[in-house]
Amino acid sequence: MGTPGQREGERRELSGDTLGFSVDLRKSRGGEMSQNNRDTLTARGPDLTSISNRAPWEDARMKLKPSTPTRKPKPPKPENAITIGVSARVLFNMEKEQQIYKQQGLEDYIKYQVEHETQPFSPGPAFSFVKALEAVNTQLRELYPDSEELFDVVLMTNNHAYVGLRLINTINHHQLFIERFCMTGGNSPIGYLKAYHTNLYLSSDPDKVREALEEGIAAATMFTQEKITEVSDTQLRVAFDGDAVLFSDESERIYKAHGLEKFFEHEKAHENKPLDHGPLKCFLEALGKLQKKFYGKGQRMDCPIRTYLVTARSAASSGTRALKTLRSWGLEIDEALFLAGAPKGPMLEKIRPHIFFDDQMFHVEGAAEIGTVACHVPYGISQAMPKKGINDKETSSAPK
Amino acid sequence: MVSTIQNTDVKQKEADRAVVVAVTSRAVFDCGADDGDEVCEVGVAFPLLQALQRVNERLLEENPSESLLFDVVLITSDSQQQQQSSRIISSTRHHGLEISSFCFSSEEDFTESLLKNNVHLFLTTDRDEAAQASQKGVFSALLNGKVASSEQLRVVFCGDAVIRTDAEPPSASQDAAQSFWAQLGEMRRRFGMLDSPLSLVLLTSRGGRESCGTALQTLRSRGVNMDEAYSLAGAPRSPILSLLRPHFLLINHLQD
Repeated sequence: MGTPGQREGERRELSGDTLGFSVDLRKSRGGEMSQNNRDTLTARGPDLTSISNRAPWEDARMKLKPSTPTRKPKPPKPENAITIGVSARVLFNMEKEQQIYKQQGLEDYIKYQVEHETQPFSPGPAFSFVKALEAVNTQLRELYPDSEELFDVVLMTNNHAYVGLRLINTINHHQLFIERFCMTGGNSPIGYLKAYHTNLYLSSDPDKVREALEEGIAAATMFTQEKITEVSDTQLRVAFDGDAVLFSDESERIYKAHGLEKFFEHEKAHENKPLDHGPLKCFLEALGKLQKKFYGKGQRMDCPIRTYLVTARSAASSGTRALKTLRSWGLEIDEALFLAGAPKGPMLEKIRPHIFFDDQMFHVEGAAEIGTVACHVPYGISQAMPKKGINDKETSSAPK
Repeated sequence: MVSTIQNTDVKQKEADRAVVVAVTSRAVFDCGADDGDEVCEVGVAFPLLQALQRVNERLLEENPSESLLFDVVLITSDSQQQQQSSRIISSTRHHGLEISSFCFSSEEDFTESLLKNNVHLFLTTDRDEAAQASQKGVFSALLNGKVASSEQLRVVFCGDAVIRTDAEPPSASQDAAQSFWAQLGEMRRRFGMLDSPLSLVLLTSRGGRESCGTALQTLRSRGVNMDEAYSLAGAPRSPILSLLRPHFLLINHLQD
């Protein structure tokens, strides 16, 4: 495994199985082992300390659970929960029906839906993410049976109530825990998002996503993907781009207006000045709140929620400001991956997040190509100037 | 003592086909002190009456000989308003309201006047009045006084009531409720999916998706198809209701 030569500037060659430069921020806290030393850690099953605190009869009850009729847990109050609003078309695959709507109009679309009412839809791009949220909830309920600090998934759709029975049948079929929905029959869902204190809204309609962002709700557009790689079913993994997603687009504006050199200078000069927050910052915050609940029960090593920053910034220079900003916000991120301009695909392949947020379609498409569920945050300066086909920021070539 | 005055300005509806909606005059007009003014200010039910009228207009557009129309009757039961009867009638004329008849009765007899006029739905802002009428078998609902003028008549069915109805033996009031829903359902079917002058909205407050699904199926089996559906599963109702902006809420027992 020879050491690849390093080019001048900020680009780092990819070596061995460490793609890009990854900073595990857990390392800097106390004497904890880095997640990178996976071999030396015990299996990622349940935390042994929490099991030993349970009485033997509790373990017995756990084994019985599948066969005994379980009472459905009550959905949490919206103000206590972390509410995820999903549209029907991202939760389920409704491609065929969408075609009918486009080509034949609403009445035929409704007729088709009603005729196929007992036929469940197959999973859509948000499906595995929602399943992972439910798995986290199960674990949270076990540790904190009386707490309402849980994920709450609400179906927010423009569909008419005619499609309601098919959607309910599908939710039943896939055994999803979705008890709340708004079928607005064509009216805007934005007011309802606010009424539910929605923390994250996922939809296939970019206009609705933009509207939500304008109202201060974290939101992203999802697309049907040909390829979706397998993801963990024990750990929810959420990956975020930095600029114009977690952070504002202020630095991106500098880069676009004045080029790479000016960008570096600016970031260096303002290293200690926190960046302004971006549209997904509050969602990261919400995830952090739940993570702390697991830490409180000794599940820091194998926390069922793991967060990643996947940014084109570089660890040695412009990355510093990003890390300092997060610190100033009191937010933690488990792994910060500074790609220094390298493509994000291979890194995403390695970490296998359930969902990845980026403001540039170029990266969203690149992620989708390798099978990562990627969604687009239509925010900031990149929207005015789409960057399809142009290389990432920090190449050594002269800026345009 | 009950007396009914027909409004000769308005074409009378076919008695056995029309959907008779009675509204208290107190809700329609705000007749303050008699300051010599012939005309009263409009009250909270005004947007509702306009919406009902618009539905009638659109129904007649689809079919000029349509008989399934809203037939609005004004009920005046308190003595103060009774003294203003001429002002009420002239205000009706002034605002161009399509009110077929005016019923005057004493407070004790007002349910009698409702029954006599074959009222299918009684709307009031007074909870006690609604409960009283309901006990006598008149389907009643509370007027939403906070609706701004809207283009579309919006009716919210509280789904928990739909299910409860099926479980219990039907009372006179529940029979009246179901026949009203069926009439609304039929009216709704006169229009297409888009651009309908009325929208039927299902709201289930307590149960989860199963309750909502059952309510949708139950209503559909009675020929009532919903446009919108909301399952709250225990989430607070008022933020959602203020977004839905119903003209009135159909609930079985006036408990919430």
